[in-house]
Amino acid sequence: MNKLDKEQIKKLVLGAICLVALLYVYFNFFIGPLHHSEQTMQSKIAELQGKVASSKTEIAKAGRLEESARAATAHYEALRALTPEGAPIAWFPPRIKTFFAEQHIDKANARLDSTGAPKEKELSDWSRYIWTIDLPQADFITLGKAIALLENSEPLLSVRKIGIRANNELPQLQQATLTVATIIDKK
Amino acid sequence: MLRLNLLHEEIAEQRQRQRDPLKLTIYVGIGIAALFALNYLWTGYRVLNIKSQLASVERDWSKIEPKVTAAQKRAGELNAIIGTTKTLDGIMESRFYWAPLLAKVADCVTPNVQLTSIDGSAEDESRGISLVIDGLAAGSEPRAVAEDFRQMLLEQIGKDHPGMKAEFKTLEDLDTVLRVSGNNAGTAHFVVAIEFNPSPIPAPTPQTRRSRSKKDE
Repeated sequence: MNKLDKEQIKKLVLGAICLVALLYVYFNFFIGPLHHSEQTMQSKIAELQGKVASSKTEIAKAGRLEESARAATAHYEALRALTPEGAPIAWFPPRIKTFFAEQHIDKANARLDSTGAPKEKELSDWSRYIWTIDLPQADFITLGKAIALLENSEPLLSVRKIGIRANNELPQLQQATLTVATIIDKK
Repeated sequence: MLRLNLLHEEIAEQRQRQRDPLKLTIYVGIGIAALFALNYLWTGYRVLNIKSQLASVERDWSKIEPKVTAAQKRAGELNAIIGTTKTLDGIMESRFYWAPLLAKVADCVTPNVQLTSIDGSAEDESRGISLVIDGLAAGSEPRAVAEDFRQMLLEQIGKDHPGMKAEFKTLEDLDTVLRVSGNNAGTAHFVVAIEFNPSPIPAPTPQTRRSRSKKDE
């Protein structure tokens, strides 16, 4: 076999360089971007297909939740309906006055002590109001019955403090002071 | 027979031309380039297919996305409603009802006991309920009458709230003499403090105690 002369070696080296350049150009500028976009699209397809599949489950879950939450929703609406429209300072004192007047306790007076957000994070749409109710002339038995009725008719009201004192002017009656907390929808 | 190759030089030159490495490399290069071109076309075809597949999936998603967003929003709302309702129910259930307690206190008041004030507080759930009763007891032994009143309170309220405490904060004889049922009676001023927890933490059952002791071992 003849040995390659210098000229031939040069040509071989040049050919090899051209081949390497061809490979580089092909993989970097032709097939590479295609593969890259193929992979990107495939991952996007997989992602979207996953989303579509999970969304179907989510829609079904929301439907089931809607069914199971029907009672809770009705209960929630009923609780919200306990709060009339308007500022509580405008409607709560008259409501209390009327309530105790119906229970034969006159001169009931409710005043706002303080207001604030409830400590429970679920009640972010609700406010806690602390009221003081003065009942200067109340018979003990009548007062007890009225408190029982108040506790039963106002589910979001709780009596925090109670003070009953003998009435010096009218011994048959007592003076009572109630501190109550109410949870009121902000609306 | 002797054969002379007079074209030796010409043939050698021709062979030399055929074996030209540059030419061979060019042929190989063209072959590889053709293969690459085919591969490129095939890959491009695949990419186009995937593109149309992606477009169809995107169409599906764009149809379903508003529904999912609405469903997620509704589920969030419903979960919030359920959470709020549960919390409100918890607050309602943990309320302390004063009327039954006042009724029990009233039941304990005998004709020779007079209450001058009652102060109750249910402010702190952890502390429980506290009630301070201020009053007067009358009788030949007014302190005994006050003690009877305290015992009755313990009995009546303790029925529903075991572990309640009823202690005298003050018990002192007074100089005032009253007429009770036509008889002169001495008087005593008393202050009874009552404390109890309306919803005590349940004590661990024997089973849990056993399992705890096993764990300790």
